[in-house]
Amino acid sequence: MNPETKRTFKVAILLCLVCSVVVSSLAVGLKDIQNQKKEAFRQQSILSAAGKWTEGADAAELFKEFITSVVVDLEINKATDRYQADDSRLDVAFAQRTPEFNDPLDSAADVAGIMKREKYSIVYEVREEEGAPVTVLVLPIRGRGLWSTLYGFVALDLVNAADGATGLKVKGLTYYKHGETPGLGGEVDNPLFKDRWPGRLIYDKEWNVKVEVVKNASTESEYQVDALSGATLTSNGVTNMLRFWLGEDGFGPYLQNTLSGTTPPATSTDDPPKHSAVSGSRN
Amino acid sequence: MGEPSPKKILLDPLLNTNPITLQVLGLCSALAVTVKLETSFVMAIAVTLVTGCSSAAVSLIRSQIPSSIRIIAQMTIIASMVIMVDQFLQAFAFELSLQLSVFVGLIITNCIVMGRAEAFAMKNGPGLSFLDGIGNGLGYGLILMLVGFFRELFGSGKLFGQNVMTPITEGGWYPTNGLMLIAPSAFFLIGLIIWAIRTIKPDQVEAE
Repeated sequence: MNPETKRTFKVAILLCLVCSVVVSSLAVGLKDIQNQKKEAFRQQSILSAAGKWTEGADAAELFKEFITSVVVDLEINKATDRYQADDSRLDVAFAQRTPEFNDPLDSAADVAGIMKREKYSIVYEVREEEGAPVTVLVLPIRGRGLWSTLYGFVALDLVNAADGATGLKVKGLTYYKHGETPGLGGEVDNPLFKDRWPGRLIYDKEWNVKVEVVKNASTESEYQVDALSGATLTSNGVTNMLRFWLGEDGFGPYLQNTLSGTTPPATSTDDPPKHSAVSGSRN
Repeated sequence: MGEPSPKKILLDPLLNTNPITLQVLGLCSALAVTVKLETSFVMAIAVTLVTGCSSAAVSLIRSQIPSSIRIIAQMTIIASMVIMVDQFLQAFAFELSLQLSVFVGLIITNCIVMGRAEAFAMKNGPGLSFLDGIGNGLGYGLILMLVGFFRELFGSGKLFGQNVMTPITEGGWYPTNGLMLIAPSAFFLIGLIIWAIRTIKPDQVEAE
């Protein structure tokens, strides 16, 4: 090898080493702060779906004030106290790669394109004050769009829940993480798109999910939401993930169980509840 | 070629050799992030820092870089700087980093950064290269802010998110101009700015 080529290799390797060390140590060093910001943003996204967010507020504080996290066992479709809501094993990413915490979906059931559904999910109950009945229920949703999996929340207005399936209305829909094309599919973040959701009906009388995102949504239909222009696949993805997560493989049966019951889910007291049917953990 | 003064190196790119209006570089991000002044401002700072620091770094090791791999070596340095800026944004300005989304990452391909490294930093000392990078970043930022100013003012009646002309949608009197919110308006504005500058300084007009 001639000395010139040798030098070229030496410089290239050294340069790459120095750059990668600098970049990776910075990334590792800033990771904690970034995660804090991400968590605050996720809480903000829950609050804003529930209509409780005001610009510039402290997300963690509002979250504490209004929101109770409840762990739901999606196999028996009831709240459970086996795990606390802050248990890191309930994290979606962890559940996805741990067989004990997920159920694989067959392709017919997997309308949202998520492959595996977690066994335990966390839903968020919103109360105006401590001890008051739950007015809004926020459910986590996720599913494939065009390029990426979108992570978000749909908030259900429970004020008319006594009327059965057709009494449930959407309170809000937000996404906190996705990788869709900015300006097209990425417009799921746009306030104009979010404003189309409140007040939409979700189910027909038989608890079939009817809410959908369509082009030129009819103003008469209470189930339709106007699609994003130039983003058909992302819009379809939103419909599909609502179908899945509100349907019978998602939170549908849980909603039927909790809302048809006479007692609203109680907040946990100091002593742990004896049976797991209805329980909540404040965090 | 006489040695240009540091002041000239720093200030020339603001108007006389502005990267956007004279060299017509970096237009993609100039269209994308100028809907609001806030994002324009952060982008301007990010590009200025990256251009300045990467020019200085390239210049520092310019005699070591073998010419056969000089472009990729410059890219490596620039890419590292951009990732660092992106990481800082995600840690300290999370929501802004969501709004800027891919465009921070795309600073890597911003021709201004690469152009300065190749055209200036490979031939000059680190100090001068740093000034040249900062100057060009500021020149880019100046146009970004100018475009952002008009787009936010006429598109949403606001400046830095504060209501200046209260739009009708918020109970005011100003009917917002939807054109200003979409990317093509930045083309028109940059075109008008180039026209204005070349009218004042006819020497910038290219020969027919």
